[in-house]
Amino acid sequence: MAAKLSLSGPSDSDTSSPSDQSVSGRSVNRSLRIAEKERRKNEAEDPFVLALKYFSDVEPGTPVNGNDQLERNLVCVEKVAYSKGLHPEAISIMLEFAMSLRMGSSPCVRVLKCLIPSSVVPQEAVVRAVVWLGIGKIPISTQVLFIKWVLTVFDMIDAKDQLRAIYGFIFSFVTEENLVCDDLGILVKMRVFRVRKLLELQSKVGRQPFLMHLLSLYKVFCPELVTLSIPSPMKNAFRNHNSPWKSALLAVQKRNGSQVSSSSLSLTAKDKTNSRKRKHCHLEVPALNSAVNKQAQTDSCSSRKVVPLVQIHSFAQLLENMHRIELPAQMGSLLGSSLTLQFLDCVQDESALLRLNSWLGYALHEEFLFCNDAGSFQNSEEALQFLEKLLSTLHFRQEGFSSIEVFLYKFLNAWDGSLLRPQILGLMSNIPVVTSSQIGQFLFEPLMQLFFTSSLFFKCGLMECLNNMLLKWLTWHSVYALEDDLDISLNSHTSINITLSGFKDSVMELVHFVGRLATVGLQLEGCHSLLLSFILDFYETVCDMFLKYGLPLVVMPPPGVFYPALFAADPVSVDRLAYIMYRYKVNLTSAKRQEKLKEQAFHISRQTFHEFNHYVVVMVNCLWNSKMFHQGMGVQLGEEVLLKSNVPQYSNSFDLIHHPAFLSYAVDFHQKCWPGRKDMDLNSIKHSKPWRWYLEYLFTQGYDGLKQFVQSNISWQPIAGDGGSDDLATQQR
Amino acid sequence: MEQKQTSVVKTPRNSDGAQRSSYRQSYRSYVGAVSRLGLTSALTARRLNTSRRAPRAHNITDKVSPEHLAVLVKKEWQLSYVTPLFQFRHTQLKRYSQQLSAFIAAERQGVAVEVEEPQHSFKASFSVVHGMAEAEEDAETILIQVHSKHHFSRRDDPEKCVWSGWLACINGSPEYIRSLPKDFICLPLFGSSGGDPLTSSVKSWFQQTFDCCFGSLEINHTSLQWLGSLWTNCQPESNIQHLKMIWAVPVVPPLQITYTVNPQDAWELWTCVRKDAQVEKEGEEEEEEEEEGIIDIEEVNMFMQELKSHFYRHFKLDLSAGNLVQVSTALGSAKTSGRIKISNSRYMISTLTLLTECALLKMPV
Repeated sequence: MAAKLSLSGPSDSDTSSPSDQSVSGRSVNRSLRIAEKERRKNEAEDPFVLALKYFSDVEPGTPVNGNDQLERNLVCVEKVAYSKGLHPEAISIMLEFAMSLRMGSSPCVRVLKCLIPSSVVPQEAVVRAVVWLGIGKIPISTQVLFIKWVLTVFDMIDAKDQLRAIYGFIFSFVTEENLVCDDLGILVKMRVFRVRKLLELQSKVGRQPFLMHLLSLYKVFCPELVTLSIPSPMKNAFRNHNSPWKSALLAVQKRNGSQVSSSSLSLTAKDKTNSRKRKHCHLEVPALNSAVNKQAQTDSCSSRKVVPLVQIHSFAQLLENMHRIELPAQMGSLLGSSLTLQFLDCVQDESALLRLNSWLGYALHEEFLFCNDAGSFQNSEEALQFLEKLLSTLHFRQEGFSSIEVFLYKFLNAWDGSLLRPQILGLMSNIPVVTSSQIGQFLFEPLMQLFFTSSLFFKCGLMECLNNMLLKWLTWHSVYALEDDLDISLNSHTSINITLSGFKDSVMELVHFVGRLATVGLQLEGCHSLLLSFILDFYETVCDMFLKYGLPLVVMPPPGVFYPALFAADPVSVDRLAYIMYRYKVNLTSAKRQEKLKEQAFHISRQTFHEFNHYVVVMVNCLWNSKMFHQGMGVQLGEEVLLKSNVPQYSNSFDLIHHPAFLSYAVDFHQKCWPGRKDMDLNSIKHSKPWRWYLEYLFTQGYDGLKQFVQSNISWQPIAGDGGSDDLATQQR
Repeated sequence: MEQKQTSVVKTPRNSDGAQRSSYRQSYRSYVGAVSRLGLTSALTARRLNTSRRAPRAHNITDKVSPEHLAVLVKKEWQLSYVTPLFQFRHTQLKRYSQQLSAFIAAERQGVAVEVEEPQHSFKASFSVVHGMAEAEEDAETILIQVHSKHHFSRRDDPEKCVWSGWLACINGSPEYIRSLPKDFICLPLFGSSGGDPLTSSVKSWFQQTFDCCFGSLEINHTSLQWLGSLWTNCQPESNIQHLKMIWAVPVVPPLQITYTVNPQDAWELWTCVRKDAQVEKEGEEEEEEEEEGIIDIEEVNMFMQELKSHFYRHFKLDLSAGNLVQVSTALGSAKTSGRIKISNSRYMISTLTLLTECALLKMPV
């Protein structure tokens, strides 16, 4: 790497020592070759093997015209090449055959065209071919084709040290023969005189794609030497030359399932299809360029060598140079590839983050808020892709960008709730902790309006989003609290302090807000079970805040959520409610225990315990004791109203047998238990023995939440004891 | 002294420290956001200032060189907003001139160009317009001009200026400017005049060099009303000749109404509105005696309302249904599309102050 960069190293011919990378590449390659040899033993009589033998042994000067044998063998090789690709040895043989012009130049082109490697290309073969280039009388067009081929498979060459050494020789082809020689720039030691020479050549022959590309490579490595702009059609024109190989290569690789990395600088850097002329280009991630404007550093840090990010091509290189990587000219370009994202994760520089945020905020604002032309959102396809990219970046980073947050607070007021909904909600779930004084104005007000005026699916989506948001906050807290031993007041360079109690307030606000939304949402949607399910998801997170995330806070669901879940017609909701109540109990008991253990521990209000106990009593009375409408229960109805309803034994109607969610199980159980009985009497399940069986039966149906709830709240011996339905005591404090 | 860090990544000393710093950092990067929010706590309700100082006739000719003023005053400028420039130095203008010249040449001809080469067909030059900055935080205005050289022109022919533009910050919000890290220069208002290809070349050079972004800056209804009122307020000192407003009324086919008011009539109406408002104000609190020079948004609204009702009385057409799209007087003209022409340098500062404010409102962070 370093040798490549130096502007004034020794002459070209000195061999740079093989890097670690190429050594490991070789050993991998060796094992690959061994495996291939093994395989080939089995195929000794393969026509392909015979064909290769023919090409390696064929005498120089054998006639081409009318040579059926040549034709047959060539077709055979082509077939294999286009379907599976050629293994390294085959590449060597065929390349040697073609470049040595043993049978003249006419088959040469055809052979070159089918040199699709299946795994790697041996360096020796390429070097030998280059030697032939110098010796033989190969026509210019064929030479060009060969160089193009080298460029296409450049990343698959197993080692590059020797190629690098003969670069000067290859470079001479550029000037003398107008060869396309672009990507070999990767090998080159950048030299001022070479840039000059190229610019001179450019003035002679005009704007040739290959020259432009070579120059653009120079620009990557020493931007201060050359200013260059490549018009967009040029990029396309340039890419075309190796596309036949490229597509064949991709196809072969796909078929083989092997992932030989083939992301060379040249093929990815300009991989933007600018086919359509865009009016708005603000959603385009800027290209990665090294900074030109670095006057401040050049003087003071001449001793310290920095590596522009553009020159980093692998994770290994990134690690190696981590301490001296120079930021690119435009920070937005870091979002362009996964490698640069890795780097972004380590950037701590405030200015750099502000630059990134400026760009990101600008793009979002321009696209979604300032869209001043009538045809806004025409390019929603691009907007979609942009947001998807942003989401995957957030996912990768596990943290947000402040500009997204600022944007969302404005956008939520303008959003219709349907445009790019999944993406916007995804962005929203990444909003970091908001102080409780601001959360109402920034989040709750706009969200409330959207929630009550939007469809069921938006409601579900929002619930999921808020659940994710809470999860992220809690995760952040658990990590951070562990570090700082419950003291999350921040160190000096932050201007705001979030204390533990501030954080608790924010979480409480959020949970209460969701409680309100859920209550009204369930009423509006007629307790839709889909919505209920998303709401219960949220409470599954809430009930475990203390034990799972170490946040000393317990918030109970409001009655508007509890009762719809308890009386839900589907057993899953009831089961999940039971599970949630069970987790509440575990959390509360453990909190209580801690409170006793350590004096200074937090305090959970009596109100919370009271609410919890009340809910448990209701559940037990309702599901177990058949005392649905007793005094002190949450649901109270006058005796005469109940009588008027003509429901026999109304107090039974929500026990585990008659509950609409479990009725079918009761019937099923009844049939299994007393198969002979004609008249069904579900009440007979209430007797102690069948009751026990019935519960066991329910539990085997996968209602673990119910099981845990029953086991933790009801002192009930499934094996011994005669106390059936009435023998229970809720453990209350 | 520690050597200046060029790489932004610090090598962690030990694993423990590394972990810690990463969480600190991760918190910081979003606490940064919160603190910025704190800065503009009414973030979602950011609006233009509701009151501003009446334009005073500036003795700007004493402070700013006449050549610069001549460039600024003559043309109609297309406005843009610019996010803060990273590592822009007022001391490096010569280098920037060289780089931009090379960049334009490369863009124009589609060829690679050596930066050091002296003979570009386009010559860009940067210069500082001293004396424009008003507040202490304002960065000095930058003027950029692009001259073209014809191949056939003689050596001593004067080069023709084919493009010009400027970056300015006049009375920019001090809170905002102070909140930026040191490496940034805030010049939020960009005006350009010249061919579009050159404009976009200059913009992309700035984007690539200073990592900033350009977005179009419209002058909205309210700002146009402000400009109309501010200019009318100058009538006694320098004749505005006319107050011309163009309204776009959303009917089919689209209708544009040009409404021109006699300067003296406009002034009389304006003084009435001012007097009323002043009396009202005094009724409320008497001590605000010296607030003579402050104009309130309510006065502006009232002035416009009166103009509209006058129009209604004559034509039975309520202009409130339409949008003000252009305002012009002898002092200058402004269009909703973001084109502005300043004809009289004496009142330039108050116009630019308003526009700087509009540009800062568009800042994404």
